[in-house]
Amino acid sequence: MSLAKLSFFLTEALTNLRRSGITTFITVSTVAISLVIMGAFLFTTMNLEAFLLQMQSEAMVTVYLKNDTLLAEAHTFNMRLADMPEVADSLVVSSEDAVRELFSDPDDKRLLQIGVTPEDNPLPTTIRIKLKNPDLLKSIVDKVKLEPLVDNLSYGEDLFKQFEGMSGLLWYVSLSVVVLLGCSSMFIVFNTVRMTLFMRREEIIIMKLVGATDWFVRGPFIIEGLVQGLIGSVIATIILLSSYHLVVGKFAELIPFFGIGITFEQLFKLTAKLFMMGLILGVVGSLLSLRDIRKFSSSVN
Amino acid sequence: MIEIQNVTKIFPNGVRALNDISVTINKGDFVFLVGPSGAGKSTFLKMLFREEIPTMGKILVDGKDIVTMPESRVPYLRRNLGIVLQDFQLLKNRTVAENVAFGLRVVGVSDAVINTRIQEALEQVGLSHKRRMFPTELSGGEQQRVCIARAIVNNPLVLITDEPTGNLDPMISDEIIKLFLEINMRGTTIIMATHNEKIVNKLRRRVLALMDGTIIKDEECGTYAYE
Repeated sequence: MSLAKLSFFLTEALTNLRRSGITTFITVSTVAISLVIMGAFLFTTMNLEAFLLQMQSEAMVTVYLKNDTLLAEAHTFNMRLADMPEVADSLVVSSEDAVRELFSDPDDKRLLQIGVTPEDNPLPTTIRIKLKNPDLLKSIVDKVKLEPLVDNLSYGEDLFKQFEGMSGLLWYVSLSVVVLLGCSSMFIVFNTVRMTLFMRREEIIIMKLVGATDWFVRGPFIIEGLVQGLIGSVIATIILLSSYHLVVGKFAELIPFFGIGITFEQLFKLTAKLFMMGLILGVVGSLLSLRDIRKFSSSVN
Repeated sequence: MIEIQNVTKIFPNGVRALNDISVTINKGDFVFLVGPSGAGKSTFLKMLFREEIPTMGKILVDGKDIVTMPESRVPYLRRNLGIVLQDFQLLKNRTVAENVAFGLRVVGVSDAVINTRIQEALEQVGLSHKRRMFPTELSGGEQQRVCIARAIVNNPLVLITDEPTGNLDPMISDEIIKLFLEINMRGTTIIMATHNEKIVNKLRRRVLALMDGTIIKDEECGTYAYE
């Protein structure tokens, strides 16, 4: 494309955006709001994922030994466990230690009020296993539960599954939100360009009369869509980045995992993606609107 | 220059606008196309710049068959043609110079060349002093002259014009026709559809008369009468 043509496209596009200020404002606002909502959803999902990863990396298996297990037997068993390839660290917690630990927690002091005392100790001896890799969880659980000393195992399975399910659901919701808002933004851009096409019908007819190609006629409109997407993206990026700390601070009070594990780099990548999405929305919306441009130029007298 | 061979145009609603027309127009010709309203004059002209496609027949412009020409090549055909219509078709929010420049911008001509060519075209139509004015600030005749400037700025081989004096008073019409004669004298072929009997009879150029889609008269140095 020659410089003269590019300059013509830019001038035409910017002039028209200025002339149709209200429609441009509506389109840009819609794109910006959609992108902020999309960003918020993606950000929440990323937070949950990060939390899950953290949970997985800190995965700990608690092995409850049978009531009649002697402490010496527990230590021997622990030595065997420590030699297993999946195990990073393991620790025997005697029933006395467990109850001491329990009553050291101020929240659990109320257990004293309902009659549970250190003398009346219901807690079994346990071995706490820290894994080298969260993926090894199933393998170690399968091995350990067959051991004769083992009464039961706990590894926060239900909570883990719940979070995993929630994360999956949130991804689906985010994806739906992205698709729906993406489509609606594209539709708005589509309609704005369509309206502009009707308003500038005469100009298109003249362009075609003097020998403009279809792509030449489309050029300014595509740039208009691109600029609308670009401005919408810039606004959305500014809103997301500037409200990052504020929102994280507020939400972290309500949702403990919010803001955990998301680095500024990830946030930047997310906003870069939204930025690209804005541009794509603008250009694709315009292109869809311009696919039948010949309809607008074939009515000479 | 232009060869029209056995061209018939039937519209989807069944109206037969042109019926087995064959005409040859040579380079440098000045041709008046006359006939009553609905005779097929506009359809005839629209076929020359591929705004309409014949149902049957062949049209050659400068040796190229424009009927079978792919749609993507039509803009390049039009860059060799100048088109002036009855309703001035100027962009009201652009100055005279910008309107004339339009024909050059679409071809991707640089600003420096555009400025020179606009100046030449506006001088030719006698409007170089009004280049910064808007169409609404001009008279009908001046607006039509801007259209002519836009049509000739690309140095077209053929100037196709449909009722260029239709909305103008006789004095202004004479000026416009004089302008077309000057352009024709520089070698541009001109095909003009008109109802202006006085001008046709005065100039005594080639006259093609159309009636019900058929050419009923083709006279060198002809007159307007077709009935």
